[in-house]
Amino acid sequence: MYQILLITDGCSNVGVNPVVAAATAQSEGIVVNVVGVVDQGELGDYGKAEIEEIARAGGGMSRLVNTRQLSQTVQMMTRKTVVQTIQLAVQKELKQVLGTDGKIEELPPDKRGEVVRVIDELGETTGLRVALVIDASASMKPKLHAVEEAIRDLMLSLQARQGQSELAVFHFPGTSYGDDCTLDLDWTTDLKGVTSIFPKLQMRGTTPTGPALMRVIDFCREDRYGRRSKDETDGMMGDYVV
Amino acid sequence: MTTSFELGLRRGVIVTGKWNRGRYRVERMLGEGANGKVFLVQRERDKGWYALKVGANAVDLQSEINVLKSLAGQNRSSGTGSFLIDVDDLCAMDGSEHPFYVMRYVRGATLSEYLERSGPEWFPLVGYNLLLKLSGLHDAGWAFGDLKVENVLVADYGRVELVDYGGVTAFGKSVRQFTEIYDRGYWNAGSRTADAGYDLFSFAVMCIQLHEKRKLAQMAASLLPQNRSPEELMKLVQHNNALRPLSGWLGGALTGRFANGREAAAAWQRLMHRPGGNRRAGAVPGWMKAMFMASAALLAVTIYWYVRS
Repeated sequence: MYQILLITDGCSNVGVNPVVAAATAQSEGIVVNVVGVVDQGELGDYGKAEIEEIARAGGGMSRLVNTRQLSQTVQMMTRKTVVQTIQLAVQKELKQVLGTDGKIEELPPDKRGEVVRVIDELGETTGLRVALVIDASASMKPKLHAVEEAIRDLMLSLQARQGQSELAVFHFPGTSYGDDCTLDLDWTTDLKGVTSIFPKLQMRGTTPTGPALMRVIDFCREDRYGRRSKDETDGMMGDYVV
Repeated sequence: MTTSFELGLRRGVIVTGKWNRGRYRVERMLGEGANGKVFLVQRERDKGWYALKVGANAVDLQSEINVLKSLAGQNRSSGTGSFLIDVDDLCAMDGSEHPFYVMRYVRGATLSEYLERSGPEWFPLVGYNLLLKLSGLHDAGWAFGDLKVENVLVADYGRVELVDYGGVTAFGKSVRQFTEIYDRGYWNAGSRTADAGYDLFSFAVMCIQLHEKRKLAQMAASLLPQNRSPEELMKLVQHNNALRPLSGWLGGALTGRFANGREAAAAWQRLMHRPGGNRRAGAVPGWMKAMFMASAALLAVTIYWYVRS
């Protein structure tokens, strides 16, 4: 299961519309969650609307928080999204079996127990990869400490899961000129030894949220495709051996 | 996250279950947990008082119900009585449906209210009772998870009940719900995987919270994340007269030295029964010194008058 978590404090201002990017992710089965970090309410109505819209298009949720609530929010959001994604998949199955909407609420309370037990179990054991996409525009600079703390805190929560759980970190705009975003940390299960997630950042004016999301979707897609093709190769090898 | 959940049930409203047709009259709201709101209700059938929890999300509430059910199954032999009375859905005024469950109503004060009202001398006993309660959960393979002052109710004579089972997690799984300041991971003291030590850590933080609330909040706000540690928490323990006698136990709980809840409870009990355990020994209270000075002065004045006359 893949999730993208966007942490930002403002509006995108260049490149493809981030709402389109989020919808693209959703159609590939990647949920997009968005956290707006607003300490002094610097985010206008437009920014708020954009954040909500990105999350809605990405099938995820959005929250506006200050830096002190960031860790708790990121951790809860990730957890909730895992359960919701599995719930949707289970709902689909139920729909086929029962011929109804498949909503858990439609089942009588004494039947719900078993379904939810399955959801909880899968939620704890399914493999999970969370790609964090961090807005590193100038106004975010004072908040990056809190962001780094939230990432470490999320890693701690992921490590407690029974399923294989990894995260990757990107920031945007990218470090080198013209780059939409930069990969700071490839898929990892442990942040011990990582002294600084964001080394020297070059703060630039643009906020290419959409292009950055597109780049991260590619990254997830390649990762998934890479794995699948490897599995397929293994399968073919198996055939040959037989 | 409960942000989008606004369901309020006003006093006098009758809640009727969609499936089991149970009818309950709402008296008042008792509290709010992460998964929903809890109301005091009276069941029409027997006029008995119960607590009714309405959830925002059927899956979240159901997984809480699952936990309560398996706990009830495990407790049947020990005769704790059934905790879960009814599980159903209600229809709100606007037509939306919400899942709810009905449980036994526990009359009691929150831990801090109780200690304020009944006096700090109840603290060791209440703490012991709470440790026993946690041990019961641990024996059945569960961690309570979100242990904090607000989730402990104390009834007469220091009897303890845990409320809000939304954080209860089977050992070995990731803790479902926690509050940062009570969380072992937050203080860099271990994982967020459910085990007995997780609850005992929160218990120790709760002891500090009860005695040094302000300083604990200040410490959490001012320390850099990488500097949060059990050692820092122990500094608060050493600076507080009520906590210092417990420092050995608290240090053990904060660093995961107890194998399980029973061992921790037994160690706590030994502290309670230590001669002069929680009594202040040695130091002469200030008021006594003041009284002595006053009576000495009075004596001097009396002698002066006596000699003069």
